[in-house]
Amino acid sequence: MNARILVVDDDPALAEMIGIVLRSEGFEPSFCADGAEAPAAFRSVRPDLVLLDVMLPGLDGIEVCSRIREESGVPIIMLTARSDTTDVVGGLEAGADDYVVKPFNPKELVARIRTRLRPAQRSDRDVVQIGDLVLDVAGHEVRRGATKINLTPLEFELLLALASKPEQVFTREMLLEQVWGYQYKADTRLVNVHVQRLRAKIEEDPDNPKLVLTVRGIGYRAGS
Amino acid sequence: MPRWFDPRAWWRRLRRLWRSSLPLRTITATVVLSALAAAGVGIAINISVASSLFEARRATLLTLSQNATIQGQRVFDDLGGQQDLDLDSYLREAVSTILSAAATRPGGTKYALQLTPGANVPVASAQTNSEDLDVAAVVSPELRAAVQADTEGRIYSQSVALPLANGSTVPALTTGSVVDIEGVPYELYLVYDISDTQQSLSIVQLALASAGLALVVLIGAITWVVVRLVVGPIQVAAETSRRLADGELDVRLPVHGDDVLATLARSFNGMAESLRAQITQLAELSTVQQRFVSDVSHELRTPLTTIRIAGTVLHDRRAEFDPETARTIELLHTQIERFEALLADLLEMSRFDAGAVALEIEHVNIARLVEDAVASMDALAESKGSELRLVAEGGFFEAEIDPRRVRRIITNLLGNAIDHGEGRPIEVWVDSDRDAVAIAVRDFGVGIAPEDLGRVFDRFWRGDPSRQRTTGGTGLGLAISLEDAVLHGGWLEAWSAPGGGSCFRLTLPRRRGGVLTSSPLPLPPGEAEAGEVEAGEREPAAPRLATGRASGRRNRR
Repeated sequence: MNARILVVDDDPALAEMIGIVLRSEGFEPSFCADGAEAPAAFRSVRPDLVLLDVMLPGLDGIEVCSRIREESGVPIIMLTARSDTTDVVGGLEAGADDYVVKPFNPKELVARIRTRLRPAQRSDRDVVQIGDLVLDVAGHEVRRGATKINLTPLEFELLLALASKPEQVFTREMLLEQVWGYQYKADTRLVNVHVQRLRAKIEEDPDNPKLVLTVRGIGYRAGS
Repeated sequence: MPRWFDPRAWWRRLRRLWRSSLPLRTITATVVLSALAAAGVGIAINISVASSLFEARRATLLTLSQNATIQGQRVFDDLGGQQDLDLDSYLREAVSTILSAAATRPGGTKYALQLTPGANVPVASAQTNSEDLDVAAVVSPELRAAVQADTEGRIYSQSVALPLANGSTVPALTTGSVVDIEGVPYELYLVYDISDTQQSLSIVQLALASAGLALVVLIGAITWVVVRLVVGPIQVAAETSRRLADGELDVRLPVHGDDVLATLARSFNGMAESLRAQITQLAELSTVQQRFVSDVSHELRTPLTTIRIAGTVLHDRRAEFDPETARTIELLHTQIERFEALLADLLEMSRFDAGAVALEIEHVNIARLVEDAVASMDALAESKGSELRLVAEGGFFEAEIDPRRVRRIITNLLGNAIDHGEGRPIEVWVDSDRDAVAIAVRDFGVGIAPEDLGRVFDRFWRGDPSRQRTTGGTGLGLAISLEDAVLHGGWLEAWSAPGGGSCFRLTLPRRRGGVLTSSPLPLPPGEAEAGEVEAGEREPAAPRLATGRASGRRNRR
C-alpha cells in the first residue's frame, strides 16, 4: 500500500506540483490549503507523513504542528521560506521532525520523505536499556518501570541510536546522518532541538540530564 | 604579597578616581589652595607676634639689667673702701644685690663676672659666675667684644640657647655691661631664661594652627556642599544621558527654577524628545523594511519553488524531448539555480542591512569544521585540477562561533580560490592562540590587481569580467563573508601578489564578544622569508575595513 502524505500548503500551484512529484514517486498525496482545517484533514486522511507550510491562512504552520503532535507522533516535515531562527526553531520546537527550505529540490524533498518513512533501523537486540529506561525495539516502546513514555518515531530512533552504543560519543553530524539520513552537512539545530524535546520527555530533571548527556564541543552520549 | 596591597593597583585606582570624580578634584584643589593661603597668613602672623613678644621681653630685661648694673656698681663702690672685708664676702654681697635686682623669678637668672682682658689688676682676680653656668656657651665672643668696646655704660644683649643640666637647651637672653671694681673694669653678664616667652609664643602658634586647620576643614566642607549643589544636577544629567544612550528614550531631566542648570535640563529634554521621535521613526522604517524583506522572501520563494520543481521534472525527462527543447530545458534549469542562489544571497544581504541577523553560537572545534568544509569542496577542486592541502598547526581549536556562518565563509573562500587557482594547489591554514582562531585560504593563481584589492569585498564587484565562473558566484559571496566575520567581531582580510596568487585570512575571537588584537596566522601564512618582499603589495585598507565596521555594527544592534 502506498504511503499517504498530507500536503498542507495554501499555494495551489506549488501544492499541485508537489502532488505531481509525489505521485510519480509512488506516494498518495492529499491536500489541505487552510491551516484552520488542517487538524480535521489530518484526522480524516490519517496520513503516514505531513508536509506542512509555515505560513498558512487561518492557523499558522507552527500551531498546526503542535496540534498534530498533541494527538500523533506521525512524521512532520515543515516547508519554510526562511531558514532563520524563528521559523525553523519554532517549527522544530513544536515537534516537526525535519524541514526543507524553499525553493527546494524535488529529489531532496523525496529523499527526506523516504528517510522519515523507512522502516525503523535494525538493532541486533530486541531490548535496549538506558539508565532506568527499557527500549522495546520491535514494539517501538519506551518504558520506565511499568509506565510507558510516548515518543515520536524520530525521538525513539534518536534515543535508540544513543542507547545502542552507550560507550560512544555521537557528534551532531553523526546523529544527522544516522537518524535524519543527511549525507552532507545539515543544520545541527535539528539535533539540538530534538535532544531538548527528548530530554523533556524522558529526563526526571531536563535541566540536569542523566540519560542524554552533552559532551561539550563534540556532541552527545548516553548516560549510564 | 596580598593582592589588595599591590601599590601599583592602588595607584591606578587612585588615578582613575581622580580622573573620574570632578567633586574630588574640586574639593582637593580648594582645600590645598586654602591650606596654602592659611599657612602663609599663619606664618606671617607668627613671625610678627614672635618678634614683638621678644622685643617687649628684651626691652624689659635690658631695663632690669641696667638697674642691676647700677645697683651692683653701687655695692662695689660702697664696699670698695672697707679694707677689712675679704674678697669672697665682698663679691657675694655684690652678686646677691645684682641678682635680686635682676631676678625675674627665683633661680631664673644666672650671672657671670669676667675680668676684661688686658686690664691692670691691682687685687686678686674677682672673676666669678653661677655654679652651673657654662660661660663660653652663653657669652659669645661678639658680645664680649661689644661690651669691651663700650665707653658709654650701655647694656648689650644677645639671644642664646642656655644648656640645662639635663642636656637640653632653653631660649635665653644674655645682657652684658661693664662694672668698675676699684678702678678695674669687669664685664657683668646676666643670662635670663626666657622659655616662658617661648611658651606664650607656642600657645599663640597652637591657636593659629588650630584656627587654620579648622578653617581649611570648614572650607573643604563648604566646597563639598557647593560642589554637590552644582555637580549633583550635572551628575543626574550624565546618568540620564547614559540611560538615553542605552535606549531608554523616555528619560527626562527634572527642571527646577530658571537658572543655567534649568536651561541645561530644558535643552537636554528637547534634544531627548527629538531623538526619541527620530529613533521611533527609524525603528518603524526598519520594521517596515524587515517586514518587506520577509514578505518578499516568502512571496518570491513559493513561486520559485514551483518553477524549480517543474524545471527539475522537465530536466529529468529531457531525453524524451528533441535536442533543441532539451537544450532549452537545460538552460532553464541552470538559470533557475543561478536565480535561486542570487535570491538567497540578496535576501541574506538585506537581512544584514536590516540588522536582523543573530549569531547562533556553539562550541566548535574549528580544525574539524575546516576539515569538513575542505572535504565538501574536494570534488569541485579535483574537477578543476587543484589539490586542497590542509595545514592545521596545534593550538586551542575550541571556539565559540556560529558554525553555519563560519562554514559558509570557508566554503565561499574555497570556491573563490578554486575558481581563480589556475589548477594549482590551494593551501588552507588553520591556527589559533589563546584569544583567536585564524583560517587562511591561499591560492597560487593570477592574484588580484593592487588597485582592485580594496574592492573585493564590495557588493557585485567582479574581479575580471572575462573570467570563467564555475561555482556560480553571485557577486555577493565576499560581501556576505565579511558581514559574517564582522558579526563574530572578527576580521576578514585580503592579500595578493599579482601573478603569485592571493590569500584571504579569517580571524575570529575564540570567546563570544572577545576583542581581536592580532591574528595567529601571518598574511600570507608560511612565507616568513617572502614576507618583507611582498609586504608592499599588502592591502592595508582591508583589515581596517573589517575591524572598523565591526564596531559600527555593534552600535547599531
